[in-house]
Amino acid sequence: MSAADAPASGVDLAGLYVHVPFCSAICPYCDFAVTTGNARLRAGYVDSLLAELDAWSADARERFGAFDTLYFGGGTPSALEPALLSRVIDACRERFDLPSDAWLSLEANPEDVDAASAASWRALGVRTVSLGAQSFDDASLRRLGRRHDGRRARESVAIALEAGFETVSVDLILGLPGQTLESWCRDLATAIALEPHHVSCYQLTIHESTPFARQRAAGRLEELAEEAQADLYARTHEDLAAAGFAAYEVSNFARGAEHRSAHNSKYWRHAPYLGLGMSSHSFDGRRRWWNERAIGPYRDRVAAGELPIAGAETLNDAQLALECVMLRLRTAEGLPLRCFHERFGVDLLGRNRAAIELLVAGGRAVLDESSLRLLPPGLAIVDAIVRGLQVDPGYGDGGAGPKGR
Amino acid sequence: MKNYRNFCIIAHIDHGKSTLADRLIQACGAVGDREFRDQILDSMDLERERGITIKSNTVSLEYTSKGGEPYVLNLIDTPGHVDFSHEVRRSLMSCEGALLVVDASQGVEAQTVANLYLATEYDLEIVPVINKIDLPSADIDRVSEEIDADLGLDPFEAVKCSAKNNIGIDDVLEAIVTRLPAPSGSAEGPLTALIFDAQYDSYRGVVLLVRVRDGSIRPGQMIRLMHTGADYEVEEVGTLRLAKVRTAELGAGSVGYVIAGIKTIQDINVGDTITDAARPANAPIPGYREAKPVVFSSMYPMSSDDYDDLAKALDKLRLNDAALSFQKVSSAALGFGFRSGFLGLLHLDIVQERLEREFGMSLLLTAPTVQFRVTQADGTVLDIDNPSYYPDPSTIEKVEEPFIRASIMIPDKYLGPVMELCREQRAQETSFDYLAVGRVEVKSELPLAEVLFDFYDRLKTITRGYGSFDYELLDYRPTDIVKVDILVNKERVDALSQLLHRDKARQRALHYCERLAKTIPKHQFKIPIQGAIGGTVIARTTINAFRKDVTAKCYGGDVTRKRKLLEKQKKGKAKMKMVGSVEIPQEAFVAVLKADPEE
Repeated sequence: MSAADAPASGVDLAGLYVHVPFCSAICPYCDFAVTTGNARLRAGYVDSLLAELDAWSADARERFGAFDTLYFGGGTPSALEPALLSRVIDACRERFDLPSDAWLSLEANPEDVDAASAASWRALGVRTVSLGAQSFDDASLRRLGRRHDGRRARESVAIALEAGFETVSVDLILGLPGQTLESWCRDLATAIALEPHHVSCYQLTIHESTPFARQRAAGRLEELAEEAQADLYARTHEDLAAAGFAAYEVSNFARGAEHRSAHNSKYWRHAPYLGLGMSSHSFDGRRRWWNERAIGPYRDRVAAGELPIAGAETLNDAQLALECVMLRLRTAEGLPLRCFHERFGVDLLGRNRAAIELLVAGGRAVLDESSLRLLPPGLAIVDAIVRGLQVDPGYGDGGAGPKGR
Repeated sequence: MKNYRNFCIIAHIDHGKSTLADRLIQACGAVGDREFRDQILDSMDLERERGITIKSNTVSLEYTSKGGEPYVLNLIDTPGHVDFSHEVRRSLMSCEGALLVVDASQGVEAQTVANLYLATEYDLEIVPVINKIDLPSADIDRVSEEIDADLGLDPFEAVKCSAKNNIGIDDVLEAIVTRLPAPSGSAEGPLTALIFDAQYDSYRGVVLLVRVRDGSIRPGQMIRLMHTGADYEVEEVGTLRLAKVRTAELGAGSVGYVIAGIKTIQDINVGDTITDAARPANAPIPGYREAKPVVFSSMYPMSSDDYDDLAKALDKLRLNDAALSFQKVSSAALGFGFRSGFLGLLHLDIVQERLEREFGMSLLLTAPTVQFRVTQADGTVLDIDNPSYYPDPSTIEKVEEPFIRASIMIPDKYLGPVMELCREQRAQETSFDYLAVGRVEVKSELPLAEVLFDFYDRLKTITRGYGSFDYELLDYRPTDIVKVDILVNKERVDALSQLLHRDKARQRALHYCERLAKTIPKHQFKIPIQGAIGGTVIARTTINAFRKDVTAKCYGGDVTRKRKLLEKQKKGKAKMKMVGSVEIPQEAFVAVLKADPEE
């Protein structure tokens, strides 16, 4: 399947993701595939990435066509020496259809950001740097197990702006245990005052088998109550909107459409993406697969010349439709109802009229001719809204198969 | 006839009735050791597990006395619970004597006394048996004193045994033939035979268990059931060993079975009298009473797809349980189900458990209720056992509810709290007697409806398990009943409506509301949960709307996991019951309908 046929995605080109699992320390809330590593391991990992690229080579062109984004995520991509990053970027350009104007993004930890590193990333063609500040408050940062302090976080934003990245993004975490509305607003205000182009605000999620989960089980960590979380979330939208940051997804805010993450938007638009590196997921419009999650099996399989795929699923139309609703409702564009009807044969509005009217009446959603869009109070409960929507074609239609194609 | 002995064994629960029956059966060689299993007469798993007999069973034993005389001993096993007292009565009427078993360490208990009263009501000769005499805790002197003081029987005549360890069983057998009377009756007839039980056999139809008083029954004979008036031709008669043994006839004084082409158990009434259609007796055997359900509840399958299976399962259960009655009902919240009548809470419990175990059903039962007698202003009288049919209060002249006489035996140190419990349960007359040093019997006239709810559990809690409880129905008495509705988001949930005494209405309604508030998940809107009498709200809780339910991150690696979770959640939602626009999970109904209110 070519990218042009990707469901509900129109003409989106594919995105390329590279996972960099290294971190200087493992944060107690993190459930990503990460490892602390050392210089030798990092170089070895890049060798593995190149081997995986080789294993794909021609096949990737056929299945994904051209990529217009390359995103380094982690872990901490900024922990990778610029020379190693360069090897990966060069290899991608050599083997895949990755034009020179493709948008390069890099996640970075504040402690890795200085004038020299910023300049070398710029030189590599990185256009977006996404800074994992998480907070500007020293106590919160300690609580989160971060290595940097508030001052370092602020400096990193200034350095990145100075270095001339086209988009500088700041990641913040809200809903920390014990966080008050005031302390969160201070973090937000600090971020706004630094004038980045983009802010991501993630509600703290306590994943199973993380240190935070164990602390919670032992009664040493208490999550913020739902009401307090909701207040923080609502305030986040208010303050950022007032400062010119428009929400374009549940947790993402940009000062102008040009600063939105083109790469991440592909996930929500169901565009195809190819993930490289351990634990990465890929999607070609119909099939999704994921790589080995642990570094050992990943390294061994690519060394043997194999693709390191650990599992895969082929989505039927019902599953694609469900994902489409689940992902699109997270975005400011919302769910294109007519396109959805044409693609999946499901009249979502007809099937859910009462529920949708309730959302609109409650100020949680806006319905116009072409789409259903959630407002911040709706985004705050988007999971519940999606649970409540009937996405199958309805009784008597003979299941969830497509009607109009 | 003089060598027949028809007897039963009566005892408080757990005093060893079934074990004694087992030993008597073995001693008479009715069963080889290899086929033997404990509680051989209790054929249902449920009976074995709970140590109670639900269906009565009967066995004929051949015994040669120490004097060399051959006897036929008909052991008529009786159900051991107050809910089944109509079956107990039928069984007692078929006997001339009874073994009254008393546990050597527990002594006389509530049901020992109740059963003795029942047995003497039918003029049975009683032989007291002190069982479990080899237990270290056995106190034969104290128990003898209790037999004298509480039962008014001669303790020196008590036979001492240990059924478990086969001690004194010969003495029990000798006492049966020497001290219990032979049946009396006229061999020439006309035929009268009491139907004391009936079973259903899928090949032969209904098998009647009968005690012949006068005359005899043989194949080919036309018989008439005197209360129903129906005539049948006898196909087969026989005696009840552990299996049925065909015989040429059943003569006066004997106990056995009759097969007469009767299709269903609903065609007959246990307690009816069989007579000869060609030469009928003048009158049936007295004491006939129809078994009437006193407790009502609606049963719904957890999954509405299982309605047909529930219907089939109930039909099968009814084949062997004439006391079970049911009719189709439908609830907006729970779909189709059956309104069913039971002899008591234990009967309800047993039916539910059999449906769940033997038929794999998963059920929701609405709060059990009694039958109220409603007299309307125009003079019409309605028996209401279903809140849905409760008439408009403005048309009601008066309402009456059934009262019981509870007999509660407790160690005297709990007297105060138990009297208080009775008062709380709207007792009208409460008195007490000292039965022996330290033991008190409290008699109390209580509304049956109160006993249904939590009386027994609270009694057990208050008396730390030492209290025993028994009851009989008394009469209907005026009461102040209201229909309490539960409203979820202003919509009435029909399955949760209840008929309650006005004094209890607020507390119970609040309990329901609180339970629902805990178990109904948050919605996008605020959900008021109210208890109401007519238009008046008497209890209220609120489920707040949720304001935050969102996964913070949803990127390439999160989509599959998140979709799978969503698919699972959607499956779960499909099982929810819709009341208006509120989704109520099964657990909410279960929490409300099954929960212990003391929690």
